[in-house]
Amino acid sequence: MPLLKFDNVSKSYPGGQAALSELSFAVEPGEMLFVTGHSGAGKSTLLKLIHLSERPSRGTVLVADRNLRQVRGRQVALHRRQVGVVHQDHRLLMERSVFDNVALPLLIAGMPGAEVGKRVRSMLDKVGLAAREKARPRELSTGEQQRVGIARALVAQPLLLLADEPTGNLDPTLAGEIMQLFAALQAQGTAVLVASHDLALVRRMRKRVLVLDHGRLMDDIAPEELAA
Amino acid sequence: MSPARAEARAAPAATRMARPGGLARLRAWRDQHAYSLVSSLGRFVQRPFATLLTVGVMAVAIALPLGLGLALANLQRLSGSLQESREIGVFLRVEVDAAQAERLATELRARRDVAAVELRTPAQGLAEFRQLSGLGDAAALLPDNPLPSVLRVTPLAGDGSRLAEQLQARPEVELVQHDADWRRRLAAWLGFGKTLALVLASVLGLGVLLVVGNTVRLEIGNRREEIAVLQQLGATDGFIRRPFIYLGAWYGLAAGAAALGLLALAGAMLRPSLAALAGSYGSAFALHGPEPLLAGLLLLAATAVGWLGAWLASGHHLRQTRPTDL
Repeated sequence: MPLLKFDNVSKSYPGGQAALSELSFAVEPGEMLFVTGHSGAGKSTLLKLIHLSERPSRGTVLVADRNLRQVRGRQVALHRRQVGVVHQDHRLLMERSVFDNVALPLLIAGMPGAEVGKRVRSMLDKVGLAAREKARPRELSTGEQQRVGIARALVAQPLLLLADEPTGNLDPTLAGEIMQLFAALQAQGTAVLVASHDLALVRRMRKRVLVLDHGRLMDDIAPEELAA
Repeated sequence: MSPARAEARAAPAATRMARPGGLARLRAWRDQHAYSLVSSLGRFVQRPFATLLTVGVMAVAIALPLGLGLALANLQRLSGSLQESREIGVFLRVEVDAAQAERLATELRARRDVAAVELRTPAQGLAEFRQLSGLGDAAALLPDNPLPSVLRVTPLAGDGSRLAEQLQARPEVELVQHDADWRRRLAAWLGFGKTLALVLASVLGLGVLLVVGNTVRLEIGNRREEIAVLQQLGATDGFIRRPFIYLGAWYGLAAGAAALGLLALAGAMLRPSLAALAGSYGSAFALHGPEPLLAGLLLLAATAVGWLGAWLASGHHLRQTRPTDL
Protein backbone atom coordinates (compact mmCIF):
# COMPACT_ATOMS: atom_id res chain seq x y z
CA MET A 1 0.00 0.00 0.00
CA PRO A 2 1.53 3.36 -0.98
CA LEU A 3 2.12 5.89 1.75
CA LEU A 4 1.24 8.79 -0.53
CA LYS A 5 -0.99 8.68 -3.55
CA PHE A 6 -2.01 11.46 -5.96
CA ASP A 7 -4.92 10.46 -8.16
CA ASN A 8 -5.71 12.89 -11.02
CA VAL A 9 -5.04 15.86 -8.79
CA SER A 10 -5.50 19.38 -10.17
CA LYS A 11 -5.14 22.68 -8.42
CA SER A 12 -6.14 26.01 -9.87
CA TYR A 13 -6.52 29.41 -8.24
CA PRO A 14 -9.42 31.77 -8.85
CA GLY A 15 -8.73 33.78 -11.99
CA GLY A 16 -5.34 32.18 -12.50
CA GLN A 17 -3.95 29.34 -14.50
CA ALA A 18 -3.73 25.79 -13.21
CA ALA A 19 -0.89 25.25 -10.73
CA LEU A 20 -1.22 21.46 -11.06
CA SER A 21 -3.00 19.44 -13.76
CA GLU A 22 -4.16 15.83 -13.45
CA LEU A 23 -1.21 14.71 -11.40
CA SER A 24 -1.01 11.01 -10.53
CA PHE A 25 1.79 9.21 -8.73
CA ALA A 26 2.40 7.10 -5.64
CA VAL A 27 5.16 6.99 -3.02
CA GLU A 28 5.99 3.90 -0.96
CA PRO A 29 6.94 4.00 2.75
CA GLY A 30 10.65 4.67 3.15
CA GLU A 31 11.04 5.86 -0.43
CA MET A 32 13.04 8.99 -1.24
CA LEU A 33 12.27 10.97 -4.35
CA PHE A 34 12.85 14.37 -5.87
CA VAL A 35 10.33 16.69 -7.47
CA THR A 36 12.04 18.98 -9.89
CA GLY A 37 11.11 21.59 -12.43
CA HIS A 38 11.62 25.25 -13.17
CA SER A 39 10.23 28.00 -11.01
CA GLY A 40 6.42 27.95 -11.15
CA ALA A 41 6.29 24.31 -12.23
CA GLY A 42 4.08 23.45 -9.26
CA LYS A 43 6.61 21.93 -6.83
CA SER A 44 5.61 24.04 -3.84
CA THR A 45 1.88 23.63 -4.59
CA LEU A 46 2.33 19.89 -4.58
CA LEU A 47 3.96 20.02 -1.13
CA LYS A 48 1.21 22.35 0.17
CA LEU A 49 -1.47 19.87 -0.88
CA ILE A 50 0.25 17.06 1.01
CA HIS A 51 0.72 19.26 4.08
CA LEU A 52 -2.88 20.48 3.87
CA SER A 53 -1.89 24.11 3.56
CA GLU A 54 -4.17 24.00 0.53
CA ARG A 55 -6.70 21.64 -0.96
CA PRO A 56 -6.89 20.29 -4.50
CA SER A 57 -9.51 21.64 -6.89
CA ARG A 58 -10.04 18.16 -8.26
CA GLY A 59 -8.75 14.65 -7.64
CA THR A 60 -7.75 12.76 -4.52
CA VAL A 61 -4.70 12.91 -2.27
CA LEU A 62 -4.26 9.93 0.03
CA VAL A 63 -1.74 9.80 2.88
CA ALA A 64 -1.50 6.46 4.69
CA ASP A 65 -4.73 5.49 2.93
CA ARG A 66 -6.56 8.52 4.28
CA ASN A 67 -8.32 10.85 1.87
CA LEU A 68 -7.16 14.35 2.76
CA ARG A 69 -10.37 15.83 1.42
CA GLN A 70 -12.12 14.38 4.47
CA VAL A 71 -9.60 15.78 6.95
CA ARG A 72 -11.15 18.83 8.63
CA GLY A 73 -10.79 21.03 11.69
CA ARG A 74 -8.65 19.52 14.46
CA GLN A 75 -7.78 16.57 12.20
CA VAL A 76 -5.76 18.96 10.02
CA ALA A 77 -3.42 19.63 12.96
CA LEU A 78 -3.13 15.91 13.71
CA HIS A 79 -2.35 15.21 10.03
CA ARG A 80 0.40 17.82 10.00
CA ARG A 81 2.09 16.10 12.94
CA GLN A 82 2.62 13.08 10.68
CA VAL A 83 4.24 15.17 7.98
CA GLY A 84 7.59 16.84 8.69
CA VAL A 85 8.44 19.92 6.61
CA VAL A 86 11.84 21.47 5.92
CA HIS A 87 11.73 24.95 4.39
CA GLN A 88 14.43 26.74 2.46
CA ASP A 89 14.15 29.69 4.86
CA HIS A 90 14.19 27.37 7.93
CA ARG A 91 11.28 29.16 9.67
CA LEU A 92 12.87 28.83 13.09
CA LEU A 93 11.71 30.75 16.14
CA MET A 94 14.59 33.16 16.61
CA GLU A 95 13.81 34.02 20.24
CA ARG A 96 13.93 30.40 21.32
CA SER A 97 16.94 28.15 21.75
CA VAL A 98 17.91 25.38 19.35
CA PHE A 99 16.62 22.87 21.92
CA ASP A 100 13.25 24.62 22.21
CA ASN A 101 12.87 24.83 18.43
CA VAL A 102 13.50 21.12 17.98
CA ALA A 103 11.29 20.25 20.97
CA LEU A 104 8.23 22.04 19.54
CA PRO A 105 6.69 19.12 17.58
CA LEU A 106 7.02 16.86 20.64
CA LEU A 107 5.46 19.45 22.95
CA ILE A 108 2.65 19.92 20.46
CA ALA A 109 2.16 16.14 20.36
CA GLY A 110 1.85 16.17 24.16
CA MET A 111 4.99 14.21 24.99
CA PRO A 112 6.11 14.34 28.65
CA GLY A 113 9.03 16.67 29.40
CA ALA A 114 11.59 14.00 30.30
CA GLU A 115 10.97 12.07 27.07
CA VAL A 116 11.15 15.31 25.08
CA GLY A 117 14.63 16.01 26.46
CA LYS A 118 15.90 12.55 25.50
CA ARG A 119 14.53 12.67 21.98
CA VAL A 120 15.64 16.22 21.24
CA ARG A 121 19.22 15.55 22.40
CA SER A 122 19.34 12.35 20.40
CA MET A 123 18.14 14.18 17.28
CA LEU A 124 20.55 17.08 17.78
CA ASP A 125 23.33 14.54 18.09
CA LYS A 126 22.30 13.02 14.74
CA VAL A 127 22.48 16.38 12.95
CA GLY A 128 25.76 17.31 14.67
CA LEU A 129 24.38 20.10 16.84
CA ALA A 130 24.52 18.48 20.28
CA ALA A 131 26.89 21.18 21.52
CA ARG A 132 24.67 24.04 20.32
CA GLU A 133 21.37 23.20 22.01
CA LYS A 134 21.35 26.38 24.10
CA ALA A 135 22.27 28.69 21.24
CA ARG A 136 19.73 30.97 19.59
CA PRO A 137 19.26 30.31 15.84
CA ARG A 138 20.69 33.72 14.93
CA GLU A 139 23.98 32.65 16.51
CA LEU A 140 24.23 29.77 14.03
CA SER A 141 25.47 29.61 10.45
CA THR A 142 22.96 29.10 7.62
CA GLY A 143 23.92 25.45 7.37
CA GLU A 144 23.47 24.94 11.09
CA GLN A 145 20.10 26.66 10.99
CA GLN A 146 19.06 24.32 8.20
CA ARG A 147 20.10 21.35 10.30
CA VAL A 148 18.00 22.66 13.19
CA GLY A 149 15.05 22.85 10.79
CA ILE A 150 15.69 19.28 9.69
CA ALA A 151 16.01 18.08 13.29
CA ARG A 152 12.69 19.76 14.09
CA ALA A 153 11.03 18.11 11.08
CA LEU A 154 12.31 14.66 12.03
CA VAL A 155 12.17 14.58 15.82
CA ALA A 156 8.55 13.38 15.95
CA GLN A 157 9.37 10.58 13.49
CA PRO A 158 6.90 11.59 10.78
CA LEU A 159 5.50 9.23 8.18
CA LEU A 160 6.61 11.59 5.47
CA LEU A 161 9.23 14.32 5.22
CA LEU A 162 8.67 17.18 2.77
CA ALA A 163 11.65 19.38 1.95
CA ASP A 164 11.17 22.51 -0.14
CA GLU A 165 14.50 23.54 -1.68
CA PRO A 166 16.31 22.45 1.48
CA THR A 167 19.77 23.07 0.06
CA GLY A 168 19.06 26.34 -1.72
CA ASN A 169 21.32 28.43 0.50
CA LEU A 170 23.98 25.85 1.18
CA ASP A 171 27.38 25.11 -0.34
CA PRO A 172 27.65 21.81 -2.27
CA THR A 173 29.44 19.96 0.54
CA LEU A 174 26.80 20.86 3.13
CA ALA A 175 24.02 20.17 0.62
CA GLY A 176 25.48 16.71 0.07
CA GLU A 177 25.63 16.07 3.84
CA ILE A 178 22.00 17.01 4.26
CA MET A 179 20.96 14.78 1.39
CA GLN A 180 22.83 11.89 3.00
CA LEU A 181 20.91 12.61 6.19
CA PHE A 182 17.64 12.36 4.25
CA ALA A 183 18.75 9.19 2.55
CA ALA A 184 19.49 7.64 5.95
CA LEU A 185 15.83 8.15 6.90
CA GLN A 186 14.85 5.47 4.41
CA ALA A 187 16.18 2.91 6.85
CA GLN A 188 13.65 4.19 9.41
CA GLY A 189 10.75 3.84 7.00
CA THR A 190 10.20 7.58 6.58
CA ALA A 191 9.40 8.61 3.02
CA VAL A 192 11.22 11.73 1.85
CA LEU A 193 9.96 14.04 -0.88
CA VAL A 194 12.42 16.77 -1.85
CA ALA A 195 11.43 19.67 -4.12
CA SER A 196 14.56 21.01 -5.77
CA HIS A 197 15.64 22.68 -8.97
CA ASP A 198 19.29 21.71 -8.36
CA LEU A 199 19.59 19.12 -11.13
CA ALA A 200 23.23 18.34 -10.36
CA LEU A 201 22.31 17.38 -6.83
CA VAL A 202 19.33 15.38 -8.03
CA ARG A 203 21.50 13.40 -10.45
CA ARG A 204 24.16 12.82 -7.81
CA MET A 205 21.66 11.31 -5.37
CA ARG A 206 20.35 8.78 -7.89
CA LYS A 207 16.83 8.61 -6.51
CA ARG A 208 13.45 8.58 -8.24
CA VAL A 209 12.64 11.97 -9.84
CA LEU A 210 9.28 13.51 -10.73
CA VAL A 211 9.67 16.23 -13.35
CA LEU A 212 7.00 18.93 -13.36
CA ASP A 213 6.39 21.53 -16.02
CA HIS A 214 3.55 24.05 -15.82
CA GLY A 215 1.79 21.87 -13.28
CA ARG A 216 1.95 18.69 -15.36
CA LEU A 217 3.93 15.58 -14.56
CA MET A 218 6.27 15.36 -17.56
CA ASP A 219 8.39 12.46 -16.37
CA ASP A 220 8.74 9.93 -13.58
CA ILE A 221 12.38 8.77 -13.68
CA ALA A 222 13.42 5.65 -11.78
CA PRO A 223 16.83 5.58 -9.98
CA GLU A 224 18.14 2.95 -12.41
CA GLU A 225 17.50 5.25 -15.34
CA LEU A 226 19.52 8.01 -13.68
CA ALA A 227 22.37 5.63 -13.02
CA ALA A 228 22.38 4.77 -16.68
CA MET B 1 16.16 -5.26 1.93
CA SER B 2 17.77 -5.29 5.40
CA PRO B 3 15.76 -6.81 8.28
CA ALA B 4 15.68 -3.42 10.01
CA ARG B 5 14.29 -1.75 6.92
CA ALA B 6 11.76 -4.51 6.39
CA GLU B 7 10.60 -4.08 9.96
CA ALA B 8 10.38 -0.34 9.51
CA ARG B 9 8.32 -0.74 6.35
CA ALA B 10 5.96 -3.12 8.10
CA ALA B 11 5.22 -0.57 10.83
CA PRO B 12 4.49 2.98 9.71
CA ALA B 13 6.86 5.50 11.23
CA ALA B 14 4.16 7.32 13.15
CA THR B 15 3.28 4.22 15.08
CA ARG B 16 6.88 3.98 16.30
CA MET B 17 6.27 7.11 18.36
CA ALA B 18 4.21 5.22 20.90
CA ARG B 19 1.12 7.02 22.14
CA PRO B 20 1.72 7.87 25.80
CA GLY B 21 -0.53 6.34 28.49
CA GLY B 22 -3.22 8.20 30.44
CA LEU B 23 -0.96 9.28 33.30
CA ALA B 24 1.79 10.36 30.90
CA ARG B 25 -0.73 12.39 28.88
CA LEU B 26 -1.93 14.03 32.09
CA ARG B 27 1.67 14.91 32.96
CA ALA B 28 2.21 16.25 29.47
CA TRP B 29 -0.94 18.36 29.76
CA ARG B 30 0.30 19.69 33.10
CA ASP B 31 3.75 20.38 31.61
CA GLN B 32 2.20 22.26 28.66
CA HIS B 33 0.12 24.43 30.98
CA ALA B 34 3.08 25.06 33.29
CA TYR B 35 5.19 26.02 30.28
CA SER B 36 2.51 28.39 28.96
CA LEU B 37 1.97 29.88 32.41
CA VAL B 38 5.65 30.64 32.94
CA SER B 39 6.40 31.76 29.38
CA SER B 40 3.38 34.10 29.38
CA LEU B 41 4.57 35.59 32.68
CA GLY B 42 7.96 36.13 31.01
CA ARG B 43 6.27 38.03 28.18
CA PHE B 44 4.21 39.98 30.71
CA VAL B 45 7.32 41.37 32.42
CA GLN B 46 9.41 41.59 29.26
CA ARG B 47 8.13 45.09 28.34
CA PRO B 48 7.57 46.71 31.74
CA PHE B 49 6.52 50.17 30.51
CA ALA B 50 3.89 48.92 28.07
CA THR B 51 2.66 46.43 30.66
CA LEU B 52 2.46 49.16 33.30
CA LEU B 53 0.36 51.38 31.02
CA THR B 54 -2.05 48.60 30.13
CA VAL B 55 -2.40 47.41 33.71
CA GLY B 56 -2.80 51.03 34.86
CA VAL B 57 -5.70 51.69 32.50
CA MET B 58 -7.37 48.45 33.51
CA ALA B 59 -6.78 49.11 37.21
CA VAL B 60 -8.43 52.55 37.03
CA ALA B 61 -11.39 51.05 35.17
CA ILE B 62 -11.78 48.43 37.90
CA ALA B 63 -11.11 50.83 40.79
CA LEU B 64 -13.80 53.37 39.79
CA PRO B 65 -16.91 51.23 40.25
CA LEU B 66 -15.30 49.34 43.12
CA GLY B 67 -14.51 52.62 44.86
CA LEU B 68 -18.07 53.81 44.35
CA GLY B 69 -19.37 50.53 45.73
CA LEU B 70 -17.15 50.81 48.79
CA ALA B 71 -18.17 54.43 49.35
CA LEU B 72 -21.81 53.38 49.26
CA ALA B 73 -21.15 50.49 51.63
CA ASN B 74 -19.51 52.91 54.07
CA LEU B 75 -22.36 55.38 53.69
CA GLN B 76 -24.85 52.62 54.30
CA ARG B 77 -22.93 51.57 57.41
CA LEU B 78 -22.95 55.18 58.59
CA SER B 79 -26.66 55.54 57.98
CA GLY B 80 -27.41 52.04 59.19
CA SER B 81 -28.15 53.15 62.72
CA LEU B 82 -30.44 55.87 61.36
CA GLN B 83 -32.14 53.39 59.07
CA GLU B 84 -32.67 50.93 61.84
CA SER B 85 -33.69 53.58 64.37
CA ARG B 86 -37.44 53.91 64.22
CA GLU B 87 -37.76 55.94 67.40
CA ILE B 88 -40.40 58.63 67.55
CA GLY B 89 -39.49 61.72 69.54
CA VAL B 90 -42.60 63.07 71.34
CA PHE B 91 -42.10 66.56 72.80
CA LEU B 92 -44.85 67.29 75.35
CA ARG B 93 -46.21 70.72 76.08
CA VAL B 94 -44.25 72.61 78.77
CA GLU B 95 -47.33 72.78 80.97
CA VAL B 96 -47.54 68.97 81.11
CA ASP B 97 -46.08 68.02 84.47
CA ALA B 98 -44.06 64.96 85.42
CA ALA B 99 -47.03 62.95 86.68
CA GLN B 100 -49.02 63.57 83.48
CA ALA B 101 -45.99 62.64 81.43
CA GLU B 102 -45.54 59.41 83.40
CA ARG B 103 -49.21 58.53 82.93
CA LEU B 104 -48.93 59.08 79.21
CA ALA B 105 -45.79 56.92 79.08
CA THR B 106 -47.59 54.12 80.96
CA GLU B 107 -50.56 54.40 78.62
CA LEU B 108 -48.35 54.16 75.57
CA ARG B 109 -46.39 51.19 76.98
CA ALA B 110 -49.69 49.31 77.18
CA ARG B 111 -50.34 49.72 73.44
CA ARG B 112 -49.84 46.68 71.21
CA ASP B 113 -48.02 48.67 68.54
CA VAL B 114 -45.40 50.06 70.94
CA ALA B 115 -42.24 48.16 71.81
CA ALA B 116 -40.76 50.60 74.34
CA VAL B 117 -41.26 54.05 75.81
CA GLU B 118 -38.55 56.05 77.52
CA LEU B 119 -39.44 59.19 79.45
CA ARG B 120 -36.86 61.96 79.67
CA THR B 121 -37.79 64.55 82.21
CA PRO B 122 -36.95 68.25 81.75
CA ALA B 123 -34.22 67.89 84.40
CA GLN B 124 -32.60 65.00 82.50
CA GLY B 125 -32.86 67.00 79.29
CA LEU B 126 -31.15 70.02 80.82
CA ALA B 127 -28.35 67.89 82.27
CA GLU B 128 -27.76 66.33 78.87
CA PHE B 129 -27.81 69.77 77.23
CA ARG B 130 -25.17 71.03 79.67
CA GLN B 131 -22.95 68.00 79.01
CA LEU B 132 -23.14 67.91 75.22
CA SER B 133 -23.56 71.53 74.18
CA GLY B 134 -20.68 73.05 76.13
CA LEU B 135 -23.09 75.83 77.12
CA GLY B 136 -23.45 74.72 80.73
CA ASP B 137 -22.61 78.20 82.12
CA ALA B 138 -25.23 79.86 79.93
CA ALA B 139 -27.84 77.29 80.97
CA ALA B 140 -27.11 78.07 84.61
CA LEU B 141 -28.24 81.64 84.03
CA LEU B 142 -31.75 80.53 83.05
CA PRO B 143 -34.34 81.26 85.78
CA ASP B 144 -36.43 78.12 84.98
CA ASN B 145 -35.90 74.93 83.05
CA PRO B 146 -37.50 75.71 79.68
CA LEU B 147 -37.28 72.13 78.40
CA PRO B 148 -40.35 69.94 78.08
CA SER B 149 -40.71 66.28 78.98
CA VAL B 150 -39.85 64.08 76.05
CA LEU B 151 -41.02 60.55 75.29
CA ARG B 152 -38.93 58.30 73.08
CA VAL B 153 -41.35 55.81 71.61
CA THR B 154 -40.14 52.74 69.70
CA PRO B 155 -42.83 51.21 67.50
CA LEU B 156 -43.16 47.44 67.57
CA ALA B 157 -43.24 47.01 63.78
CA GLY B 158 -43.21 49.08 60.63
CA ASP B 159 -41.84 52.60 60.38
CA GLY B 160 -44.31 53.97 62.98
CA SER B 161 -45.86 56.60 60.72
CA ARG B 162 -49.41 55.83 61.89
CA LEU B 163 -48.39 55.83 65.54
CA ALA B 164 -46.64 59.18 65.02
CA GLU B 165 -49.82 60.64 63.52
CA GLN B 166 -51.90 59.43 66.45
CA LEU B 167 -49.42 60.86 68.96
CA GLN B 168 -49.40 64.19 67.18
CA ALA B 169 -53.18 64.38 67.62
CA ARG B 170 -53.03 64.11 71.40
CA PRO B 171 -53.57 67.33 73.37
CA GLU B 172 -50.51 66.82 75.65
CA VAL B 173 -48.19 66.69 72.65
CA GLU B 174 -46.48 69.78 71.27
CA LEU B 175 -44.36 68.17 68.56
CA VAL B 176 -43.69 64.72 67.15
CA GLN B 177 -40.31 64.17 65.49
CA HIS B 178 -40.44 61.28 63.06
CA ASP B 179 -38.16 61.35 59.98
CA ALA B 180 -39.65 58.48 58.00
CA ASP B 181 -39.64 60.49 54.77
CA TRP B 182 -35.98 61.37 55.18
CA ARG B 183 -35.10 57.75 55.81
CA ARG B 184 -37.07 56.63 52.77
CA ARG B 185 -35.25 59.18 50.62
CA LEU B 186 -31.88 58.07 51.96
CA ALA B 187 -32.74 54.44 51.20
CA ALA B 188 -33.78 55.45 47.67
CA TRP B 189 -30.50 57.32 47.12
CA LEU B 190 -28.49 54.38 48.38
CA GLY B 191 -30.42 52.06 46.07
CA PHE B 192 -29.78 54.39 43.16
CA GLY B 193 -26.07 54.52 44.06
CA LYS B 194 -25.87 50.73 44.09
CA THR B 195 -27.49 50.53 40.66
CA LEU B 196 -25.14 53.23 39.37
CA ALA B 197 -22.14 51.28 40.71
CA LEU B 198 -23.44 48.15 38.97
CA VAL B 199 -23.94 49.95 35.66
CA LEU B 200 -20.49 51.53 35.93
CA ALA B 201 -18.96 48.16 36.77
CA SER B 202 -20.61 46.62 33.71
CA VAL B 203 -19.53 49.39 31.33
CA LEU B 204 -15.99 49.64 32.68
CA GLY B 205 -15.77 45.83 32.88
CA LEU B 206 -16.48 45.82 29.14
CA GLY B 207 -13.70 48.41 28.82
CA VAL B 208 -11.30 46.10 30.67
CA LEU B 209 -12.31 43.27 28.36
CA LEU B 210 -11.59 45.41 25.30
CA VAL B 211 -8.25 46.64 26.66
CA VAL B 212 -7.09 43.07 27.29
CA GLY B 213 -8.43 41.98 23.91
CA ASN B 214 -6.58 44.76 22.13
CA THR B 215 -3.35 44.12 24.05
CA VAL B 216 -3.47 40.43 23.23
CA ARG B 217 -4.32 41.29 19.61
CA LEU B 218 -1.13 43.37 19.41
CA GLU B 219 0.85 40.56 21.03
CA ILE B 220 -0.57 38.12 18.48
CA GLY B 221 0.44 40.54 15.72
CA ASN B 222 4.01 40.54 17.06
CA ARG B 223 4.04 36.75 17.08
CA ARG B 224 2.28 36.14 13.80
CA GLU B 225 5.23 34.23 12.32
CA GLU B 226 5.58 32.07 15.40
CA ILE B 227 1.89 31.17 15.23
CA ALA B 228 2.25 30.27 11.56
CA VAL B 229 5.17 27.97 12.41
CA LEU B 230 3.19 26.31 15.19
CA GLN B 231 0.26 25.76 12.84
CA GLN B 232 2.64 24.21 10.30
CA LEU B 233 3.94 21.86 12.97
CA GLY B 234 0.44 20.63 13.78
CA ALA B 235 -0.43 22.70 16.84
CA THR B 236 -4.12 22.79 17.64
CA ASP B 237 -5.93 26.07 18.22
CA GLY B 238 -5.93 25.29 21.93
CA PHE B 239 -2.15 24.90 22.02
CA ILE B 240 -1.64 28.18 20.14
CA ARG B 241 -4.20 30.04 22.23
CA ARG B 242 -2.99 28.87 25.62
CA PRO B 243 -0.06 31.31 26.20
CA PHE B 244 -2.19 34.26 25.06
CA ILE B 245 -5.01 33.28 27.40
CA TYR B 246 -2.56 33.01 30.29
CA LEU B 247 -1.17 36.40 29.29
CA GLY B 248 -4.68 37.90 29.45
CA ALA B 249 -5.21 36.29 32.84
CA TRP B 250 -1.93 37.81 34.11
CA TYR B 251 -3.09 41.24 32.92
CA GLY B 252 -6.43 40.79 34.70
CA LEU B 253 -4.83 39.59 37.92
CA ALA B 254 -2.30 42.43 37.95
CA ALA B 255 -5.01 45.01 37.18
CA GLY B 256 -7.21 43.65 39.98
CA ALA B 257 -4.31 43.83 42.44
CA ALA B 258 -3.41 47.34 41.26
CA ALA B 259 -7.06 48.44 41.66
CA LEU B 260 -7.05 47.19 45.25
CA GLY B 261 -3.76 49.03 45.79
CA LEU B 262 -5.24 52.25 44.37
CA LEU B 263 -8.25 51.99 46.68
CA ALA B 264 -6.04 51.27 49.69
CA LEU B 265 -4.02 54.38 48.83
CA ALA B 266 -7.15 56.50 48.43
CA GLY B 267 -8.49 55.14 51.72
CA ALA B 268 -5.24 55.95 53.52
CA MET B 269 -5.39 59.52 52.16
CA LEU B 270 -9.04 60.07 53.16
CA ARG B 271 -9.03 58.33 56.53
CA PRO B 272 -7.41 61.09 58.72
CA SER B 273 -9.59 63.94 57.42
CA LEU B 274 -12.73 61.79 57.63
CA ALA B 275 -11.86 60.78 61.19
CA ALA B 276 -11.51 64.48 62.09
CA LEU B 277 -14.87 65.25 60.45
CA ALA B 278 -16.63 62.37 62.20
CA GLY B 279 -14.99 63.32 65.49
CA SER B 280 -16.44 66.81 65.24
CA TYR B 281 -19.90 65.15 65.27
CA GLY B 282 -18.94 62.97 68.19
CA SER B 283 -18.80 59.90 65.95
CA ALA B 284 -16.09 57.26 65.78
CA PHE B 285 -16.93 56.47 62.16
CA ALA B 286 -13.98 55.16 60.11
CA LEU B 287 -13.67 54.12 56.45
CA HIS B 288 -13.67 50.39 55.81
CA GLY B 289 -11.82 48.87 52.83
CA PRO B 290 -12.94 45.73 50.99
CA GLU B 291 -13.27 42.58 53.08
CA PRO B 292 -10.74 39.81 52.29
CA LEU B 293 -13.47 37.73 50.63
CA LEU B 294 -14.50 40.64 48.39
CA ALA B 295 -10.84 41.34 47.53
CA GLY B 296 -10.36 37.68 46.62
CA LEU B 297 -13.51 37.68 44.48
CA LEU B 298 -12.38 40.86 42.75
CA LEU B 299 -9.00 39.31 41.86
CA LEU B 300 -10.78 36.23 40.58
CA ALA B 301 -13.24 38.28 38.51
CA ALA B 302 -10.48 40.50 37.06
CA THR B 303 -8.45 37.40 36.13
CA ALA B 304 -11.54 35.88 34.50
CA VAL B 305 -12.21 39.05 32.49
CA GLY B 306 -8.57 39.10 31.32
CA TRP B 307 -8.84 35.44 30.38
CA LEU B 308 -12.08 36.05 28.47
CA GLY B 309 -10.68 39.07 26.58
CA ALA B 310 -7.63 37.07 25.50
CA TRP B 311 -9.78 34.08 24.56
CA LEU B 312 -11.97 36.22 22.31
CA ALA B 313 -9.03 38.04 20.68
CA SER B 314 -7.00 34.88 20.03
CA GLY B 315 -10.07 33.04 18.74
CA HIS B 316 -10.79 35.87 16.33
CA HIS B 317 -7.19 35.81 15.04
CA LEU B 318 -7.22 32.04 14.54
CA ARG B 319 -10.50 32.24 12.63
CA GLN B 320 -9.07 35.02 10.46
CA THR B 321 -5.85 33.16 9.60
CA ARG B 322 -7.41 29.77 8.95
CA PRO B 323 -8.07 29.09 5.27
CA THR B 324 -11.80 28.87 4.79
CA ASP B 325 -11.69 25.38 3.32
CA LEU B 326 -9.65 23.80 6.17
